Amino acid sequence: MKPEDIIELQPPKLGPMENIFVPAILAGLGTTIMHLFKSVGGNTRTMQYPEERREDMPVLEGGMDIQKYRGVHRLNRDEQGRVKCVACYMCATACPAHCIHIVGDAAPWADREKYPIKFDIDELRCIYCGMCEEACPVDAIELTYEYDIVGLTRQEMVFDKEKLLAMYDKTAARKPM
Amino acid sequence: MPTMEVDGQMVSWEGKKTILQACNDANVPIPHYCYHAGLSIVASCRICLVEMESPDPKDPAKMVKLPKLTPSCQTPAVDRMKVTSKSPKAVANQKAVMEFLLINHPLDCPVCDQAGECYLQDYSFNYGRAESRFEEDKIKNPKKDIGLHVLLYSDRCILCTRCVRFTREISGSGELAVFGRGAREEIDVFPGKTVDNPLSANVIDICPVGALLDKDFLFSQRVWFLKSAASISPISSGGENIFIHHNHGRIYRIKPRFNADVNKWWISDEARYTWQFVHENRLHACHRMQYGSFVETSWERAYAQTTEDLQKAVRDNGPGSTAAVLSPFASTEEMFLHAKFARSIDPQAWLAVTPPRIDGQDQVFKNPATGAVTFTIRAEKAPNRRGAEKITAHFGGNACALEELAEKIKNKKVMAVLASADPLPGMDKPVLAAIGAAPTLIALTSRHTGLYEKAGLSMPTCTWAEKAGVYENCDGRIQAFQQAIDPLENCRSDGRIFWDLLAHEGTHSAAAVRHEMAAAGLADYANVAIPQVEKPLEVMEFSAL
Ligand code: SF4
Ligand code: SF4
Ligand code: SF4
Ligand code: FES
Repeated sequence: MKPEDIIELQPPKLGPMENIFVPAILAGLGTTIMHLFKSVGGNTRTMQYPEERREDMPVLEGGMDIQKYRGVHRLNRDEQGRVKCVACYMCATACPAHCIHIVGDAAPWADREKYPIKFDIDELRCIYCGMCEEACPVDAIELTYEYDIVGLTRQEMVFDKEKLLAMYDKTAARKPM
Repeated sequence: MPTMEVDGQMVSWEGKKTILQACNDANVPIPHYCYHAGLSIVASCRICLVEMESPDPKDPAKMVKLPKLTPSCQTPAVDRMKVTSKSPKAVANQKAVMEFLLINHPLDCPVCDQAGECYLQDYSFNYGRAESRFEEDKIKNPKKDIGLHVLLYSDRCILCTRCVRFTREISGSGELAVFGRGAREEIDVFPGKTVDNPLSANVIDICPVGALLDKDFLFSQRVWFLKSAASISPISSGGENIFIHHNHGRIYRIKPRFNADVNKWWISDEARYTWQFVHENRLHACHRMQYGSFVETSWERAYAQTTEDLQKAVRDNGPGSTAAVLSPFASTEEMFLHAKFARSIDPQAWLAVTPPRIDGQDQVFKNPATGAVTFTIRAEKAPNRRGAEKITAHFGGNACALEELAEKIKNKKVMAVLASADPLPGMDKPVLAAIGAAPTLIALTSRHTGLYEKAGLSMPTCTWAEKAGVYENCDGRIQAFQQAIDPLENCRSDGRIFWDLLAHEGTHSAAAVRHEMAAAGLADYANVAIPQVEKPLEVMEFSAL
């Protein structure tokens, strides 16, 4: 870095009105109060979650686009109900958060070469960017519309193969492969 | 020096070379599959075809253009030649070859272990076309188990015959051949044979695609996750140059590293597959014997006890009552510090070297056609006996063979022994028999060996993959190796231990010890060339293959 690259910034001098902060606070409160009155008037986007959920609303009225939403992952099944993933590690390679952990092995089926014996996704570490589904050459991994997952421990939030396949079974009807 | 022009770049070479060889040496890329520098030239894959103009032999001022494309791997380079691999004709040929190769090629990259280091992938990207025009069904060949270490996926094979030539020209065993004709052409083993010669796994390296795969490495890791370290094989005294491929502190495979003077492009299967000991049966704490049972102890206490025990032996029995047993598996730097430490406590300490295991005779491989020696597997199964001898000679004074030391221990002449153990399973038996009876036995050992059971004090050390240093091979060649993985939990290398025991200033490093050795008169160690790995995953450059 050269000396001419350094730019010294001076904080602007505050006038007496700014120094006491009160006018700025009142201006901010004004916005809050404006919204308060507007919502009483009925013109509101507030939802009664969890009784009302975005996935049940039409997209044009602010509902969720179920086909495109990036929530919890699922592992798709092939026509015979087996895990579709071929353990190529493309998703793990593409993942910027390094939250996918795969162990591959020779598949027990005659028509398949390789499959994952372990497939863990750390849902807490995941940033839900969707890179994994982008990378998958066989469309085996997808993000679903599920977002309200809870767990009592961190370990519970590491979804293994069974959980991810169960997520497919749960979401396949509303979001076909 | 003769010079030719290749795609607008000037390429010079010396001696007799083909166009492709000269270009490979000058790093000018020309695609090739069947050519391998270590094998005979068959010019069968046809992707290296180029257009060329060369001076007319009758009238050197005139240039003659060959009407046809020429295989650059087979055509001798001539001074003032003009070669182009980027003309429309040459490019059309490259595209056509790629298309033919991919006609029956499965779309297996996601499950193929070669992906990431596959030249069919790379050339597809560089020279091929994006989509396939083939609409019929592909021929699917079953995968086949053809040998101890090798799997054959013949639908991925591009029939370059490198593997066939390897078994015919290098290992001399000739198990592989091309069977069938045309679209049914296939690589296979002769009936009743398997690829199980002691160099067999080299066919996996030279196969440019994923047709020949390693059973040991199969599905264990995608290659782009691996990191590479330049190392020397500790398995035999040949000092074969290798790359250790590792990730997250685990070794996944060993690949050959080209060295024209030592192992050329090849390594023995033994050197390739003997690395499991790095991760098996390791010790992770210092142990000392207390009232007949082992208790864990800290490094500080172990260090203090080592010095104390040895000093006590000298105090009680006079100088010459301690001994240091050097292991031919340790690096020369470590042995130097080991001997130096032993002599710093007892100026007449005995130095002995564990004799390496000798496995029959050297195994020499010859090309059956020419009789030329292609590879030698050394019978001496330790990397650094010569280094050990050099160190003992350097320190002079009391030195003896291990049997003599055993004798001295029996006669109560030597009371305390500080021994460095051999890491390979079963290799410490003769040492144990010789020195197991010493009243004070201090062992530096990486694994649960017999020496550990007998020692009053043991310290967990590192295997060769966890440290840097030099080995001296059977021809007296001093070769440096890099550290591949971090020392496993709580382990310290022999070098570090003696560095600490000698209370040396600063951090221990092999280079610092070499500096010290050079200053002490071991001039060979002043400037040892350190192999470098520039790219994260260095496999042998394809152009060098
Ligand atoms: S990218 Fe797809 S096929 Fe590959 S490991 Fe991930 S989920 Fe499996
Ligand atoms: S040999 Fe190469 S191109 Fe063929 S499947 Fe394997 S990685 Fe892909
Ligand atoms: S198996 Fe590999 S080395 Fe052998 S011919 Fe086929 S592509 Fe070449
Ligand atoms: S024909 Fe020249 S490399 Fe194969």
